[in-house]
Amino acid sequence: MLEVNNVSKIYGEGSARVIALSEVSLRVNDGDFIAIMGPSGSGKTTLLNIIGGLDYPSSGEVILDGKRIDNLAENALVDIRRGKVAYVFQQSHLLVSLTALENVLLPLIFCGANGGSSQKGLDILRKVGLEKRAGHKPSELSGGEQQRVAIARALVNEPSLILADEPTGNMDRKTGAEILLLFNQLNKEGHGIIMITHDREIAKQAKEIIVLQDGRIAGKINSE
Amino acid sequence: MLFAALGVAIGTMTVVGVLTIALAGQARIYNELEKYGANLAVTPAINNVDTHLGDLSMGTLAVGENYIPQETLPQIRQIADGEIREARGITDPGDIATIAPELYINTTVKGSSVMVVGVEPDAESKIKTWWNVQEGEYLEGTDRALVGAVAAKLLTLNTGDAIDLNGSAITVTGILVETGSNDDYQIFVPLETLQRAYGKEGLVSSVNIRALCNACPVEIIANAINQNITGVRAIAVKQVAEAEMGIMGRMNRFMWALGGITLVVGLFGVINTMMSSVNERIKDIGIMRAAGASRNQIMRIFIYEAVIIGIMGGIFGYLAGTLLAYIVGPLVFEGIDINFVLQYLPLSLALAILVAAIAAVYPALRATRIRVADAFRSL
Repeated sequence: MLEVNNVSKIYGEGSARVIALSEVSLRVNDGDFIAIMGPSGSGKTTLLNIIGGLDYPSSGEVILDGKRIDNLAENALVDIRRGKVAYVFQQSHLLVSLTALENVLLPLIFCGANGGSSQKGLDILRKVGLEKRAGHKPSELSGGEQQRVAIARALVNEPSLILADEPTGNMDRKTGAEILLLFNQLNKEGHGIIMITHDREIAKQAKEIIVLQDGRIAGKINSE
Repeated sequence: MLFAALGVAIGTMTVVGVLTIALAGQARIYNELEKYGANLAVTPAINNVDTHLGDLSMGTLAVGENYIPQETLPQIRQIADGEIREARGITDPGDIATIAPELYINTTVKGSSVMVVGVEPDAESKIKTWWNVQEGEYLEGTDRALVGAVAAKLLTLNTGDAIDLNGSAITVTGILVETGSNDDYQIFVPLETLQRAYGKEGLVSSVNIRALCNACPVEIIANAINQNITGVRAIAVKQVAEAEMGIMGRMNRFMWALGGITLVVGLFGVINTMMSSVNERIKDIGIMRAAGASRNQIMRIFIYEAVIIGIMGGIFGYLAGTLLAYIVGPLVFEGIDINFVLQYLPLSLALAILVAAIAAVYPALRATRIRVADAFRSL
């Protein structure tokens, strides 16, 4: 379970001061599918980064499975990234010099995994429908395929929570729908998902929609 | 990465090049000294006496003959062999040092002024090991002459020609191969022949001594001769050698300093390249961090990269440094012989890896401080 309590994030000082997030609070139960909507600059990505320990809040607290993570040292956050939380970005953010399979295996390599892990990588690639593309470099894959590889990479450590920042933002409607289908399937398998999206249709598939405006929660819509 | 390796390579190239030249130069000087033959020279002592009349200086008078009496030769041998026996623990009573007396007479042959040197053929050939006869034969018997290569050309002397030395008829029986020394301009005749022709019986101009080896106590021998025999002055050629080795040492230190400075300058170049390499890959670092890489793991990636750069740079620097020495070496030391110095390869590798590692630590530290969120935002 994830709890966000009164989180604020302020960039800069004096006249250059920008309030990205102001007193945001929310609760995400295990296995929930939450969509975050809002105009550009409303603080969506900042919120997601803070939830995932990629960034620190200026004030407030983030509690993941009963443990505060907003004040953790960098090395402790590494453990969270290796187990509980995984990211999917708008751009697939693959390492261009590695093959699809190697990109998927990257988190395992950093965890110190050894023999047999490439079979695991292939299994996950099969899950996202890319087992035949395992040996291809990102430049040889389409945008949708690249994003599938990124999702496979996020899944390889079996995270309880997947944070996705506009994962279909760069795609045509058909490809986006396929990716969304994949997320829905993962959610059914028990992975919690927090997804930023501009697309109302996509957001409708979430259990709850949180609308951010000027760094504040402007509304919560329960789609059920 | 390629530029970083190049930076490291240039640094090591200079160090290896400089050291290779220095080493070959040293070998060249040793070689030169070995060729020098005699390591002890005995010349007549010239006592300069200032003459005065009241407070008025009347100039300087050279006192004493400019010859060494031949009868001192056994004494010189006794001292030289004695000291060598003592230093090396030799009990064999036979002769050890080679003692080669020479008598110089400046005379005119075929209308040209030339130096005629009276020598003891056997002793002379032992000291001047580099002598080769190009025509005829080496000195044997009396009333014969061995002519230096240049002198033979200038005076158009061939074997069988006769020359006149103060009324004595001498036959040219051999001509030397050019040596590049004064010997080329001189005519060598047996000592007794020259002494007889010019009435210098029992006199020699100088004595060259070749002790057993380079490590022989030549200074001690020189001191003993100077103390025990009056009218002569012995100089250990080792003093010259030591002076040259001193110059060599200073030059070595200078070259090390030069190499060190180059390496330091190269270090900053490599740091610069590594920094830009890190900056180019901030996104990749962000990706790896988001995928669970710890700071240490990112650090290790950059250090590994530095080691690879170091190995590449070290090997290339070693090869390029030797090539540099091959090109530049002959400009520093004439006739230098440049070879691969194998023991400089590990040195070169170690140096290159060290430089690359030092250069990698700071950029890598900076790389790990980048927050994942900032890494993506900077795009």
